[in-house]
Amino acid sequence: MNVNATFFAELIAFCIFIFITYRYLWPSFSNILEARQEEISEGLEAASQSQRKLEEANEESRKLVEDAKSEASMLIAQAGSRGDQIVDEAKNQAIEEQKKIKDSAEADIEQNITKAKEGLREEVAALVIAGAEQILNKEVDESSNKDIVDSLIKDL
Amino acid sequence: MAEKNLTENLTSTADYISHHLTNLTYGWCEKSQSWGFANHQQNIFKETSCKVSEMGFWSFHLDTIFMSTFLGLIFFGFFGLVLMGAKKGVPGKVQNFAEFVFEFISGAVKSNFHGTSKIIGPLAFASCVWILSWNLMDLLPVEMTNFFGANLVNSEGTSYVGYFKVLPTADVNAPLALALVVMFFVTYYTIANHGLGGFLKEFINPIELVGYFSKHVALALRLYGNLFAGEMIFILIGIMFGQFLLSFGQTLWFIPGLMMNLVWALFHILIIALQAYIFMMLTIAYINLACAKH
Repeated sequence: MNVNATFFAELIAFCIFIFITYRYLWPSFSNILEARQEEISEGLEAASQSQRKLEEANEESRKLVEDAKSEASMLIAQAGSRGDQIVDEAKNQAIEEQKKIKDSAEADIEQNITKAKEGLREEVAALVIAGAEQILNKEVDESSNKDIVDSLIKDL
Repeated sequence: MAEKNLTENLTSTADYISHHLTNLTYGWCEKSQSWGFANHQQNIFKETSCKVSEMGFWSFHLDTIFMSTFLGLIFFGFFGLVLMGAKKGVPGKVQNFAEFVFEFISGAVKSNFHGTSKIIGPLAFASCVWILSWNLMDLLPVEMTNFFGANLVNSEGTSYVGYFKVLPTADVNAPLALALVVMFFVTYYTIANHGLGGFLKEFINPIELVGYFSKHVALALRLYGNLFAGEMIFILIGIMFGQFLLSFGQTLWFIPGLMMNLVWALFHILIIALQAYIFMMLTIAYINLACAKH
């Protein structure tokens, strides 16, 4: 225990070391640690944010799938009803067409019948006249006997 | 015959102890009216040079000054080097260690100091790291350190063989200097926070004045006493087994000597770290008290 001038040397050395710590070591350590702290908190923030975004995206995609599903089922239903409609229309059209064809065919037939009747009638008239001519061997005045012939033809 | 042996033994034991507890001193010698190294037991120029005890106030313990500055440069240099190569991202192992030390000390400051001060952090850091670096020297084997001073010879050819105290904490000057700096800051913060009147008002009861000085002196002496005693026990263990070694069994005593030293060293590691920590915590507590509103 002898106190002497060593004391002053130690005092000066301690003050220098405190100054070094105060001026260089302490601020740089604080800066580094603060920067890291900030970085970490930013990273955590970003992580939680992206987690939230992921959840949102999941929710959105789920909704989209649901929408698409409902739309698809709606479309299918629509398509079904439309198909029925088309089939119905086609059926109706076919029936109409059929009727039309049948009608025209019937009309044709009718026409042909009348035509044939007319032809026959004329032929018969000619035949009758020819027959009568031969029977009488003389010319029959067609105009004078026309009434008779006509009445005959009508009877046919 | 036996009595003579005993006296010689005692003398050499006392020599051995004082040898280990004497600093390498350079100072003003009244007798020769000059600056020079102090001589010790083997002084052969009694008329022209002084013993340590004969030197006055103006003498320097070169070993204390050298070791404390050297250790400070190594330890603070370590932190400086780490910071120079420090990365902001993921730290390496060394940087991690340095940051752990910093966070430990700044955590102690944050949890125990409630005022605002920019100097208290650096003060706590500097005192803790520096004292720890001193105290670690206590773990060097007691016989080893004297080699540092073995080749110092003064102008008269006197050798100072082995006078080199490696542990700055065991020289009361060093802890006292630290305590004075703490006292300066305590006084400064008391006056800054409570005014000069507030500072002087504390000493209305004069016994407070005694308390004011003694708490800082105690701060120094606590550190000094613990480490001095630790060093002393290493020396005593050395003596004990040295004597056994000379008496009987000889090298057989090497193993128990090693064991005793090891046990005390392991226990002493606790004291080494604890005293540095206590000094730092008390520094923070005293300055916190000075800043506290009454």
